Amino acid sequence: MICAGIDAGSRTIKIVLIEADTLKVITKGLTDQGVEQDKLTSGLFRKLLKNSGIDKKDVGRIIATGYGRNAVSIADTTITEITCHAVGVRYLVPDAETIIDIGGEDSKLIRLDRSGRVRDFAMNDRCAAGTGRFLEVVARRLGVDIGSLGRMAAKSHSPAPISSMCVVFAETEIIGLLASGTAREDIIAGVQAAIAARVTALTGRNIDLPIVFTGGVAMVSGMDTALQSALGQTVTVSPDPQMTGALGAAILAAKHITHY
Amino acid sequence: MPGQITLQEWDQRYEQLRKAGLHQPDYSGPLSRHVEDGDTRLLKLRYDNSAAALRLWNFLLTEEDRLHKARAEGKKLVGTMKDLGTIPVMAYSLDNLVAFYPDGAWWIPCVMELNTGLLKIADKLGIDESFCPVRAMLGAFLTGAHFPIPDLLTCSVGATCDDFSAIAQRLNGLGYPILWWEIPHRHPPEPDEAAVKLPGGFSAPKSQVEFVESQLQHIKTAFEDLSGQRLDEKKLSTGIKKANKVRTYLAELRQLAFTAPQCPMPALEMLIAEMLAIHFCSDRNETIVVLKGLLEEVKARVRAGIGFLSPDAARIFWVNPVADLQVMNLFEDCGGRICGTEYLFTHALDAIPQDLPPTEALAQMALADPMVGSSIDRASRICNDVRIFGAEALLISRIPGASHCALEGQIIGEIVRDKLNIPVVELEVPPLTDSIRPALRTRLEALVETVRARRKK
Repeated sequence: MICAGIDAGSRTIKIVLIEADTLKVITKGLTDQGVEQDKLTSGLFRKLLKNSGIDKKDVGRIIATGYGRNAVSIADTTITEITCHAVGVRYLVPDAETIIDIGGEDSKLIRLDRSGRVRDFAMNDRCAAGTGRFLEVVARRLGVDIGSLGRMAAKSHSPAPISSMCVVFAETEIIGLLASGTAREDIIAGVQAAIAARVTALTGRNIDLPIVFTGGVAMVSGMDTALQSALGQTVTVSPDPQMTGALGAAILAAKHITHY
Repeated sequence: MPGQITLQEWDQRYEQLRKAGLHQPDYSGPLSRHVEDGDTRLLKLRYDNSAAALRLWNFLLTEEDRLHKARAEGKKLVGTMKDLGTIPVMAYSLDNLVAFYPDGAWWIPCVMELNTGLLKIADKLGIDESFCPVRAMLGAFLTGAHFPIPDLLTCSVGATCDDFSAIAQRLNGLGYPILWWEIPHRHPPEPDEAAVKLPGGFSAPKSQVEFVESQLQHIKTAFEDLSGQRLDEKKLSTGIKKANKVRTYLAELRQLAFTAPQCPMPALEMLIAEMLAIHFCSDRNETIVVLKGLLEEVKARVRAGIGFLSPDAARIFWVNPVADLQVMNLFEDCGGRICGTEYLFTHALDAIPQDLPPTEALAQMALADPMVGSSIDRASRICNDVRIFGAEALLISRIPGASHCALEGQIIGEIVRDKLNIPVVELEVPPLTDSIRPALRTRLEALVETVRARRKK
């Protein structure tokens, strides 16, 4: 039996199909999020089935997660991204105790107990300053591709201080820094440090190790280093960080089937 | 059968109850009539379907009428600001004073869905969104549209919210005289200081109790001047007994609602009921009747073993009241059940000592306020209550701009995690949550999932 996990995130939709018995990933894919997200999700799902030669009736259970989970009509049920990321990350990194997930529109810190269950979590619910949205704004303002941000930040020798807690004001600061001749590399490194600082505010005084970094922003090189620097702890980027939510949803779908 | 119904369904039910001979007070009527007054949020809430809940809602939503009526009858109105359950006890000890809680205006932006412009008025006065939504009170004073301007305004100051002190000072600067009384920051007695054990379990130096007592004496004198009556010990003692009646009913109500196998009363009605402890909704005697009715309904449901919500609902202890009432409905939709609350006035749910001189007893109660001591004290009381009510997780609901919420949440969370090893989650609830509903739902559902996962061995 095959199970599917769908992570309908704010910026992208991710789908993972797994073998229910072995939890082996059969196929996976993603597409940009849009207004007609249910249609986009169904389209991606059909495409993955077709490319893998899978019949829809062989898919025993589908769980949707993510911001848009309730709009996914092909899903049998929904589970929050907090639970799904925890399951997905723990599957990939079995000793993970803290997960930092930075997505397009939010960031979260998930604490796990020894058995891998969620102990509790904290989410950035105040602004976009600790999210991937900040990086997008900066890339647009600096006229660079988001994929090159990490490479550019690595060349920085003196990250620019970004003091604003708000993306809109930070953008104004960036304009000022550019006008004063600050190198783009230093601005990017400064922004990465600002995002990391914002995220570390979620951790409180104690943070359990190891820390695993997941979500789309984990793919931006340099962000893990910025987080390590802000936390003073080693941060490991999860394998396939953008897909951990969908993977977790698929694993939970498989557990539902094997339990019933 | 108990259940939750919409406003429209309540109107139908009201007609059925009326035809069946339901006895209701003169302020009763179909709930939907309050929408005509601009309370549009009511259209989006779900309500308990009991006659007792109907009475509770009608009582709450007719407070302004009650205040105007009291004034027309020649009674004097006292606005008791930033006071959580002390000064109203004194005011209601005199039969020609009616106290109310202008701070209650913080819910107007929610109930009227921002249509009154109260927050915009506050903005223009320099009290912007960096302050607690209680800033709506400024607009309510300036428009005079939500409560009559009181004959006397009192306000506690000192170890109270910074936001509120600033807002009250702004109000004062706008020409509204305020009788200030000071409440010091409660601290544990030094070894060489005489100590007083306060209701609720905290301790304070005797000198602090004496100081607060002296402050209350000023208020007492002002009340005597305003009412033309003497507020003697006998009257105060009688007032304390009546206040304790309210507290006794609430204590019993909370115990049953939070611990019964089936949830007998929704979170929303429980929130409204608990709030009566601090302000009596401008009629202390009717508060007693309303709570008695609610308690009888709850007892009947518990006896019959009926309620609502799934039996496996996650048992959550809730800290701080929400600015948007609809969140309590949402919480239950997501699979949560309230099992314990700390809405910033736990002390007002404790019995006022009746074996002490009344002013001293009230001074002790004022000092027992969780907000005038350290966050560690507050967390300690929360831990005790979490244990008593058997909650499985703690939810700290921040009020945007409220300084105590911003500062205390993390401290309380860390202490509860350390002492009780239960999940702790914080979320922020603005006066209208419509635009952030998906994000709020995610947090609440995730907390419920976390609790349920922890139940599995």
